[in-house]
Amino acid sequence: MQKRSIVLCLLLAVSMCFWASTMWAEDVRGVTKNEIKLACLVDFSGPGKFAGPPLALGAETYIKYINDQGGVHGRKIKLIVEDNGILPNTTLAAAKKVIFKDEIFAIGFNLGSSGSSAIIPLCEENKVVMMPHGANKRFYNPGNKWVFVPYSTQFNMASRAVEFALEQNPKARIGMIYQDDDFGRDGLEGARAAAKFMKTKLVKEAPYKIGTIDMSPQMRMMKEANVDWILAWTYIPQSGAILKEKRTMNWDVKVIGNNTTAYRLIFPPLGELADGYMAVTPFVPWEDTPQRTQDILQKYGVLEKVATPPFPAPMFLAVWTYFAAMVEGLKEAGPNLTPESFIKGLEKVNNLDAGGVSPNISFTPKRHVGYFSSLVVKADAKNKRFVTVSPIRDPKTPQD
Amino acid sequence: MSSNFKVSYREDTAIFQNLWVKTWMAILILLMIVSPFFLNRYQLSILNEMGIAVIGALGLNLLIGFTGQLSLGHGAFAAIGAYSSALLTGKLGIPFIISLPFSGLIAALLGLTIGIPSLRLKGLYLALGTLAFAFVIEYILFHWDLTQGDLGMAVKRISVGPFQIKSQRQYFYFIALLAVLAVLFTKNLVRSKIGRSFIAIRDRDIAAEAMGISLAKYKVMAFGLSAFYAGVAGCLMAHYNRWIVPGSFDISLSIAYIAMIIMGGLGTVLGSVLGAILITGIPHGIVYIVDLIKGTYPALSGFIVDFKLGIFGLVIVGTLLFEPAGLAGIYRRVKIYWKTWPFKY
Repeated sequence: MQKRSIVLCLLLAVSMCFWASTMWAEDVRGVTKNEIKLACLVDFSGPGKFAGPPLALGAETYIKYINDQGGVHGRKIKLIVEDNGILPNTTLAAAKKVIFKDEIFAIGFNLGSSGSSAIIPLCEENKVVMMPHGANKRFYNPGNKWVFVPYSTQFNMASRAVEFALEQNPKARIGMIYQDDDFGRDGLEGARAAAKFMKTKLVKEAPYKIGTIDMSPQMRMMKEANVDWILAWTYIPQSGAILKEKRTMNWDVKVIGNNTTAYRLIFPPLGELADGYMAVTPFVPWEDTPQRTQDILQKYGVLEKVATPPFPAPMFLAVWTYFAAMVEGLKEAGPNLTPESFIKGLEKVNNLDAGGVSPNISFTPKRHVGYFSSLVVKADAKNKRFVTVSPIRDPKTPQD
Repeated sequence: MSSNFKVSYREDTAIFQNLWVKTWMAILILLMIVSPFFLNRYQLSILNEMGIAVIGALGLNLLIGFTGQLSLGHGAFAAIGAYSSALLTGKLGIPFIISLPFSGLIAALLGLTIGIPSLRLKGLYLALGTLAFAFVIEYILFHWDLTQGDLGMAVKRISVGPFQIKSQRQYFYFIALLAVLAVLFTKNLVRSKIGRSFIAIRDRDIAAEAMGISLAKYKVMAFGLSAFYAGVAGCLMAHYNRWIVPGSFDISLSIAYIAMIIMGGLGTVLGSVLGAILITGIPHGIVYIVDLIKGTYPALSGFIVDFKLGIFGLVIVGTLLFEPAGLAGIYRRVKIYWKTWPFKY
């Protein structure tokens, strides 16, 4: 009897606490009279750690540039750079830290698509706008009130790659080697959609498991299918393996990849092998960066670092454009900043020139993706640089 | 007050051995009830992760620590629990309160199936078998349309009738309640015939069989029970985070659970709890340290972030070197020291 009473008392106490906790008021977070806290989640310790320092440098430089101009509506921006380890669990931990502990207003950049997916409910619950990098079509279609993507997705870029190949040769036989995850499959869907739109089809599709670096089986499948264009929806190590295999097979096939391989990082390990390799990317090659943007970098003492190969300049510039979009949204939101007014502000961002390094960014209430366009670049191994072979353009294939 | 003089078998197997323990338990429960009102949301979120980890670690300790069956598939069982509950509540509209035990039961059912090869396999071979199972589950989650690939799927909030759990504080009470129940159940189980059979199998399976313990029955049961705990932990993880991706349940989760029970202490309930708290807490502890020093020593904080995994590993190796019995071993030694104080023995 006595034991039962104790248990009942405990249950009663727990339910009282439950009830009391529902009465607690929510705070407005991350905005004061003089300051707005924004977070930038990049990888310093996980599989994408090579990307962390250039991304952090890009965000810090841009925020310094904005703060030196007086901030936004009199508020300076405080940037919190946090390691997200790129994986879903580590990204979730980092997002909880910046939201609950640092009390940020918005996440201006989050590296990694599955990690970005994993934190969407947390962002929804806490009214945090988040901009994912490594974006997938699912981030804008069907889309989410709190998610804005100022970047083209793999779907968009793969569509552009297929269209480019067919422009060069209307009878091109196109095959695709893709990573068997949402990154690769998003590209595959984009390529299929474009091929269908152009009234043709991919003649061969060859997946590989994440981490594979032997591409010989996939390349043999491509050879057997007699393709003359290979879409490589891969990362740098796999693209390198494809190019090496191409030489081993003594096969003159054209290879076109995606934005994750359009870095000068590929020249030191691949050398002459990289020559002629093409990639679809939303970012102009570093050498084509407008002088006005280079001047800003010069002012903040990072120009030499960014300009010197093999520094991945497109990464630096990508995070730059993300925060440019975010700051433009803050400006549009006006001085009475709330999560809701910020969303409305972002949805007013129209044709934003983020330094002339990527397509202009526009959001609307129905479209939270900044652009679908991209350009095609080609590797010039002799000069260790990429050159533009097809300018910034939207794919003809419907993207919504 | 803390005398251990027992006059009956019932007293010897009591969960709360004396008034001293009961007092401490009462204080702990009181602290658990009151502390959420003094902690911020971040600290509560860490406690919630720890609570879920405690449930999973208890299950794995039953299998490895108490029964001596090595498994690298605990993360996969958690995944089964998580996805089962996500699908049951999301696609079939089954209430959470029903899907919670069901997700554990589905995981347990698979655990029983995976337990069958354990009758033939031992040690590293069994570990490899469970690892293969984990890879199969991961492949299915990545490729099955229903589970929506590596971008994952949304999961509903925890709701009990019309009441929905929304704040970290509410999650804390709910998860803590389940963790306490899991601890009590495990404590009770290991002193029962089933628990004693598990221990006999771990210590010497041939001798256990000679004593009349059915190896087939108890080994398979250990797998089933362990998977049930993992399934419940996975279900809680899914509804707490409200989004699941296969990457959250990969081999690293299984290894983290193994680290928890080794660090905490194999074959002890207290060890599972302490290990889960430690392994879940280390990354957050590093975050706190980095935040504390990054203003004064930015280079050092950068170094700590760069070598986060290394520091994590170093703590584990250090603990194993200096205290192989885990945290439960340290606790036991401290307890004995104070019990015999001022005498050494």
